[in-house]
Amino acid sequence: MIKMVLSWSAFALYAAASVAALHYLLTKNERASRLMLTFVGCGLVLQFLSFGIHLAAFWAFPENRWFLPINNFFGALSYMSFALAGAFFTIEVRRHLGILGAFVLPMAALGLGLAVILANPELAPLEPKLRSYWLNIHPMILMTAYATFTNAFGVALALLIQERQIKSRTPSELCYRLPSLDELDALNSRIIAITLPILVLGLVMGAVWAYQSSGRAWSGDAKEIMSLVTVGFYAAFIWLRYVSGRRGRTPVYVSMAGFACILLTFFGAGVFSDSHDYLGGK
Amino acid sequence: MKLVCLSWSHRDRVCAAREALASVPVERVLLELKTRGFAEAVAVSTCNRFELYVAGQADQDLAAAGLVAILEELAETSLGPQAEIREDAAAVDHLLAVAAGLDSLVVGETEILGQVKTGYEKAMAAGMTGKRLNVLFQRALFVGKKVRTETALASGSLSVPSVAVQLAETIFGRLEGKCALILGAGAMSELAAKHLAARGVSKLVVANRTWDRAYQLAARYQGEAVKWETFPAELERADVVISSTGAPAAVLTRAIVSEAVRRRGGRSLFLIDIAMPRDIEESVHAIDGVYLYRLEDLEAIVAKNMASRAEAVAAARRIVDAKAAEFAAWARSLSSGPELSLKHADRTDGRVLDAEYPG
Repeated sequence: MIKMVLSWSAFALYAAASVAALHYLLTKNERASRLMLTFVGCGLVLQFLSFGIHLAAFWAFPENRWFLPINNFFGALSYMSFALAGAFFTIEVRRHLGILGAFVLPMAALGLGLAVILANPELAPLEPKLRSYWLNIHPMILMTAYATFTNAFGVALALLIQERQIKSRTPSELCYRLPSLDELDALNSRIIAITLPILVLGLVMGAVWAYQSSGRAWSGDAKEIMSLVTVGFYAAFIWLRYVSGRRGRTPVYVSMAGFACILLTFFGAGVFSDSHDYLGGK
Repeated sequence: MKLVCLSWSHRDRVCAAREALASVPVERVLLELKTRGFAEAVAVSTCNRFELYVAGQADQDLAAAGLVAILEELAETSLGPQAEIREDAAAVDHLLAVAAGLDSLVVGETEILGQVKTGYEKAMAAGMTGKRLNVLFQRALFVGKKVRTETALASGSLSVPSVAVQLAETIFGRLEGKCALILGAGAMSELAAKHLAARGVSKLVVANRTWDRAYQLAARYQGEAVKWETFPAELERADVVISSTGAPAAVLTRAIVSEAVRRRGGRSLFLIDIAMPRDIEESVHAIDGVYLYRLEDLEAIVAKNMASRAEAVAAARRIVDAKAAEFAAWARSLSSGPELSLKHADRTDGRVLDAEYPG
């Protein structure tokens, strides 16, 4: 109960922070930017508390002890929105690019909103096949990577808008408020360059887990195939951006295709995957 | 409280008084006023403005004529009848407008805010600020910052070269470390070179059909002159290209630009064509990462900025009026009590302006 109140409050704070961030983007009102930061900070604290309560309840089942409660949509989405808001705080705010909150924070609010509104927060003992220390490793690494890629997607949106503004030859006031094209491009590429190895590491850990539990590293289910496609898109972005030296829209579209794959992998898993269907809470 | 403001500004057609006052150090003015028993005074002295603010108790006699006489003594000349004299609410309103840049020759310029701050700091150092002027000047600095962040008064350049520089900054961020290539060595090229150099462009390369003129222009801005034939190769290192040659046909063709883009490792390229007939083929704008602006594009942006400037002035005026009214209420509460708390809810430069007001 308290957990849901805390989560709902955190969701309200992220939503309010998103509104403040949009207002800041449109008016450059400094007060809105400070409100945005305060809301995000408070939201992070509440979410952290909520996670503690969630964890205590999860561990009340003896068979769940020491495993992280990310085995359903509620746990996974809460964690990812937390990681996303946290990443925004540590990356953009520290580099004085808080104006990008308008692109990143709505996604944190949306993630947590889906968790509190749609997902089932009920806890149950873990299925036997998930009672493994790998549960704390494989999905955690991947979800952290997803959260950071979501951040990159927000930056990429800003980058596309800025690119269009400058290409249009009739830039609006927004153009002068957003960070420069070079800054956005550097941020987007750097986040992706750092996160891609994390994604690959998470996938390899999954293969090791599968090998230990079933003797097969690769079972060819839809989620595994989609993950490889995701890696392919982000690797193509890295190649376009750093090796072939392409700039402008094309690499950005490729990175966005990678993000679309992540969404499909994450939300579609319950529908078309057998060994990864646990997120649906079945 | 009582407040008097004397000001000589760019509105005076005769600048003799301003010149005479500019030669008197602010510190001397403050010292003189102090020895004559004035408790609170701040002087703001810039190259086209001299302002003196003196505050005292509500019943104190702060005759403007007396203050002018003191200044005349210090300047050792007659200052004439041009001083604009404002009292109380009008003086407060004037100071806030000055800090906001509304009273400047170039409306919205940002330098004045720093000059007001300097004037205030000198007065503080001289022990000539008390509760009234501390609150008033901190409020003025706060309003100046607020107007600049919340209105478009300071943004939106009003000339073609400065619009070009501003666009370059939306592409590259800071221009330090960037390289500009100037094609043609005419007056327009020189103007562009001057603006780019002022904004920190590290390297200027000039190519012109006549070597001598390229050399002279490059020398004036510590740039480098190159032979006209080699300019396609120079495209590889340039970030901004400004072209204003008198060539009858395009000198930067799509083929030349695509070839250069291939060798640039993906860095953006900003091309500015201010020549008539055009120097740069229109089709290069379609290349990924290449941004071509022509003279009429820049002029259209200038025209748009001119139009929005008027709106920004009105918005800035509203902020100034609101903050002046708040200050007036506070000043009234000083004598009628209880004293209102005049919290500046916003911060300036990350520092809370809500400092302790001594006095």
